[in-house]
Amino acid sequence: MGYALRLSSEFIAGIVVGVAIGWVIDEAAGTSPWGLIIFLMLGFGAGVLNILRSAGMVAEQSLKPRKGDGSAKD
Amino acid sequence: MNGREGVKVAGTDPIHQFQIRSLVDLHVGGLDVSFTNSSLFMVATVAIAGAFLYYSTATRGLIPSRMQSVSEMSYEFVANLLRDAAGKEGMRFFPLVFSLFMFILVANLLGMVPYFFTVTSHIIVTFALALLVIGTVVIYGMMKHGLGFLKLFVPHGIPAALVPLVVLIEVISFLSRPISLSVRLFANMLAGHITLKVFAGFVTSLSAFGAIGVAGAILPLAMTVALTGLEFLVAFLQAYVFAVLTCMYLNDALHPGH
Repeated sequence: MGYALRLSSEFIAGIVVGVAIGWVIDEAAGTSPWGLIIFLMLGFGAGVLNILRSAGMVAEQSLKPRKGDGSAKD
Repeated sequence: MNGREGVKVAGTDPIHQFQIRSLVDLHVGGLDVSFTNSSLFMVATVAIAGAFLYYSTATRGLIPSRMQSVSEMSYEFVANLLRDAAGKEGMRFFPLVFSLFMFILVANLLGMVPYFFTVTSHIIVTFALALLVIGTVVIYGMMKHGLGFLKLFVPHGIPAALVPLVVLIEVISFLSRPISLSVRLFANMLAGHITLKVFAGFVTSLSAFGAIGVAGAILPLAMTVALTGLEFLVAFLQAYVFAVLTCMYLNDALHPGH
């Protein structure tokens, strides 16, 4: 249950933020519904990216090997 | 709004345990800042965590007593977590991460006591904690790297044509962090406590049907016992997950764009 909740919350969070940004842009610029449509798509993309990151399929940016940093990691 | 009478009708209503009741009414300039049961348990959480750490380390024994080794273990645990994720310079955030970890852990465990209120089952509390983390990341990252912090959103090695799209997606992904961080903790606590209450409610309503009902109530009772164990695991696990993700985000603030 923990794993499922984690992944779904990552995905939903991406979409929610995308919708929120699109909606705010629409309200501010009067471009309804284009902002919502475009940012909903981007939100889906971000949600999928979030899931792949937390499932460890896409390397977390911060986990890539660093140069000039003494801390050796896996 | 004083829920004295609510206690009696509570019965098997699984949502009732999350109700916020005001204990001391306070209104400042039209704002409702009453001292509620939620505030009471936050104060209790801080007091218990602080008192435990203070008194268990008060003797400072070279050979630690049982309680002292528990608090030393929690220190070592969080310190290793932070050092692994964010390196040596991450240790300056140790007080923040350790306080967050202890607060969430003690709040979750307090929620496991019957009739107690679970602070972390309200999204506004967990969202405030997540905002604190992300605010620290953004402010510290901007202070340390200036505009270089924005390199966080541009992964290196992508074609120039894709940069605008990828940056937009990375920004949305970054903004969704506090939401997923807070929703995860809140949803786990809420779902767990509702499940526990529903299964425990089956026991009382089944046993109203006489002998057969009492015999049938054994199943949900066994389930409740098992779920209680699981909830203790979840209480610890969620505090751990929150601390781990905090460390990873702080690492982004320390080393963006690598």
